Amino acid sequence: MKKEINIRELLHRYMEGESTQTEMKQLKAYFDSGQDLPEDLRAFAQMFAIIDEEMPTPSAEALDRFSEGQPLKAKRTLPLWPFIAAACIAAFAFIFLTPPQKEESMAIAYIDGKAVGDKALAMQMGQEALQEIFSNGNQEQQLNELFNAP
Amino acid sequence: MKHLLITLALIAASLPLSAQEGLRINEVFEGNIINELAMQESLVKGESLEPFKLKVLHTVKFTTGNSPRDKVEALFEEDMKGRLSDNNDNLELEYRDGHLYYAIVQIADTKKGRHRYICYQCRQAAMGGNSITLVYMEGKASLADLRKTFKKK
Repeated sequence: MKKEINIRELLHRYMEGESTQTEMKQLKAYFDSGQDLPEDLRAFAQMFAIIDEEMPTPSAEALDRFSEGQPLKAKRTLPLWPFIAAACIAAFAFIFLTPPQKEESMAIAYIDGKAVGDKALAMQMGQEALQEIFSNGNQEQQLNELFNAP
Repeated sequence: MKHLLITLALIAASLPLSAQEGLRINEVFEGNIINELAMQESLVKGESLEPFKLKVLHTVKFTTGNSPRDKVEALFEEDMKGRLSDNNDNLELEYRDGHLYYAIVQIADTKKGRHRYICYQCRQAAMGGNSITLVYMEGKASLADLRKTFKKK
């Protein structure tokens, strides 16, 4: 009866997760003994029958590492310069290798300081200015051609 | 690496410079010599100019007195120093009464395939004063092309 009380106490500790390896072994030995068990303990016998092997115990070194929060592998530091060089090459490639974009198209005229967004007027003003300038010397040339013609 | 970054920064900084940058006559286009209110200005870029083999055409026209005329003329003559050559294929000009009457000047440009021109004309205005026309243009057109297109027959 005393042993049964002790077992119940051990079971309680086991269920609370407080039992030691020795206490677990005692429990397993008790339930594996094949002795006649009280009705309420039979289910535990089935449970301990499944537990054939001892729970794996982590090594002391692993526990130390875990408690100190150290990573298992040393952190690798990557050099920064290859990434900067790659970014520079990409920037140069973008500037010099991309096809030139079509010239921005615009036409604007300013009359008495006011902007007139009339494309035709701007073109007309530009063309007239060029015609005026390029027609210089024309009269002289025409007169020469007229009077020197055979 | 530091030098590379500095070079990249300089390249990036030079990109937004306008086509007329570096020319003295830019002061006239910007309204620093003649008040913008007294000028007629046109600026055309892109597709509209493709038939003329041009990419940029910027013109200003105004009537002014002798003193501003002299300033504009001096600025233009400064820019004329950067002309491509004195050859008739790149230059056309005429002086009258000691002043520049008209000029068509191809200026030297290092960019391959791009031709830049500055043009000037000063005539006696009907109401008195000087009627000045100033032009900046750039594109693939040669001076021969431009003469063919714009010279009145």
